[in-house]
Amino acid sequence: MLSIQHISKHFETVKALNDVSFDVPNGQILGLIGQNGAGKSTTFHSILNFIQYEGQIQWQGHSLSADDFNQIGYLPEERSLMTKLTIEQQIIYLARLKGKSAKEIRPQIDDWLTRFAVKGTRKSKIKDLSKGNQQKVQLICTLIHEPTLLILDEPFSGLDPVNADLLKQAILAAKDRGAAIIFSSHDMENVSALCDQLVMLRKGDVVLHGTLDEVRNQFGKSELYVTTDWSQAQLADLPHVQVVESRHGRHYLLHLDDPAAGPAIFDALTQGHYIEEFSQQPPSLDAIFRMKVGETNV
Amino acid sequence: MILGPFLMIGLTIGISYVSANSTSKSHEIAVISDSQPMRQAYLQQNSDNVNRKIQTTKAAKAAMADNQLAGYLTFDTSDQLVQGDYHGNNAMGSGLKAQVQNFLTGYQQVQNYQQAKLTPKQQKLLARTPVLKTHIVSKNGTANLAKIISFWVLVTLIYIILITYSSITAQEIASEKGTKIMEIIFSSTTATSYFVGKILGILLVIATQIIIYLLGGWAGYAIATRNATVSPLITQNQALIDTVIHNLLSLNLLYLFLGVIIYTILAAYSGALVARAEDASKAAQPVIMLGMFGFFATFPFQNNMDAFLVKILSYVPFFSSYFMPMRIINGHVGLGEQLSSLAVLVVAIALFSIYIGKQYQRLMLQTDSQSLWQHLFHSIRHR
Repeated sequence: MLSIQHISKHFETVKALNDVSFDVPNGQILGLIGQNGAGKSTTFHSILNFIQYEGQIQWQGHSLSADDFNQIGYLPEERSLMTKLTIEQQIIYLARLKGKSAKEIRPQIDDWLTRFAVKGTRKSKIKDLSKGNQQKVQLICTLIHEPTLLILDEPFSGLDPVNADLLKQAILAAKDRGAAIIFSSHDMENVSALCDQLVMLRKGDVVLHGTLDEVRNQFGKSELYVTTDWSQAQLADLPHVQVVESRHGRHYLLHLDDPAAGPAIFDALTQGHYIEEFSQQPPSLDAIFRMKVGETNV
Repeated sequence: MILGPFLMIGLTIGISYVSANSTSKSHEIAVISDSQPMRQAYLQQNSDNVNRKIQTTKAAKAAMADNQLAGYLTFDTSDQLVQGDYHGNNAMGSGLKAQVQNFLTGYQQVQNYQQAKLTPKQQKLLARTPVLKTHIVSKNGTANLAKIISFWVLVTLIYIILITYSSITAQEIASEKGTKIMEIIFSSTTATSYFVGKILGILLVIATQIIIYLLGGWAGYAIATRNATVSPLITQNQALIDTVIHNLLSLNLLYLFLGVIIYTILAAYSGALVARAEDASKAAQPVIMLGMFGFFATFPFQNNMDAFLVKILSYVPFFSSYFMPMRIINGHVGLGEQLSSLAVLVVAIALFSIYIGKQYQRLMLQTDSQSLWQHLFHSIRHR
């Protein structure tokens, strides 16, 4: 388990992290969300001992040291490879730094290239690959030594939906192996799809922390998805309906000022008849994110 | 880069050979005389650079017009007086002039003896010349020359290797500055291990270069000893060559290597101190300046080995690699002092490596826009 307890970091007069605490148990995925500059990369750099910080970070019950390096798979925010090397040379070089022998890694390379649908052979030079394929090679370098602590800074950035799905499968496979995984993302859909728990940072402070349901339920079931023949104006006249968003055709999203008004709205809308869709939910992660970011700008 | 000097030497020899071949004919002269014995006598004494086929003035003029002949000599005798005339496109070279003058003097002398009807004894008496002998203490002379040659070869070698690799090292390190690959590497190994590995890699390249040069030098020497033209020169100067080789293949070689190590580490540090990868070209400047200072500082002290400053600098890392070999070559220092200076250098290298290894991660991951000096002060403040 990765345990982060009360870490703080200041750069000169700027507060980058302020008393941040969370745990990532083995076999679980934690999503770290927040605006640019919220402190996500600083958190990763603290875990990796790239910077000095106040507080305590422990991995499997002890402070993370050079002895644990072989268990770490780290993908930095910006991609960077040694462009003069071939794919095979690059993968083997970084795997050897992780304590794997070339003999162990070489037979696996083709399988990983196929799994990530990399356009190129093991003998292709990194500089000759497209940006997307270079990113996939970097992901392979992060995963091939089967790390038990996976730290991914914006792993989905720049990936198309097909490749994002390939990465999701790889992350889930690592989770099934029992790896503790922490990743940052601006894409709330990916966070919702993968994370067992999430932490939202805002200017270095933890503003949200919990499982996806726990976080969403904090905001109450204030969103109502309906499919009806009623007009937008009729729906807006219903009690406790603040805003009506037309999704498409007969599909609407109603924002309520009181989640307890749900049953009364249901009765009014159905009047004892069948209704195609009536779903009362807490706000989406995307909406919560915007809401929390909005609070800072008030 | 490593093969550069060999290519330069090969190219120089090749060009000289081709040039010598193409110009050899235009350096030749013709010898023309109505007196065949006189012509033959000259040809017997001076066979080089003479075109024997041309025997008439007309043919000689034609050859000169075609640039196949540098000039021609005409010899004749009138009233017992030997006379030579040279006709050429340019003035006679001093060597040729001396040859011709010698020949004419000798030939005239023979003619004079014949005319004077001297007895052989009288001829012998008249042929006597005074004797001038020079006496040089060859051992001391050779030793002094060997010291000068050894000094220049060694100091220049240190300087060239140091300047070349300081620049390469600083740029190599600076080009990695702030790149994300460094984050991946530092999540896989300690910065000290990476730094030491990097320096060792560069040193192995330098060692390979030195070995290649030693082998190249040995092969060149072996070839030269078998060459008919050069080998007499080598035999003549064998003592000098042996002394120079002995001076170079001694503790001085270790000084050279350790000097390159400490400068390489400093170059790596400079590379890590630059604000960003784009400033890589600036990174080596401080190291090169220091190397140049050490190199030029040796000049005024070549003949003043007992100077206090020389003694001090022969113990100071970064300068000892220049100054201690200088003292060793001149025999001004005992083994104890040599080993003490070496120990200081080795300890300085070790401490310097440990210090930079500790700073390396912070320096390499730093991506702000501080200048080299700001980084330096910052790193000293946070050591």
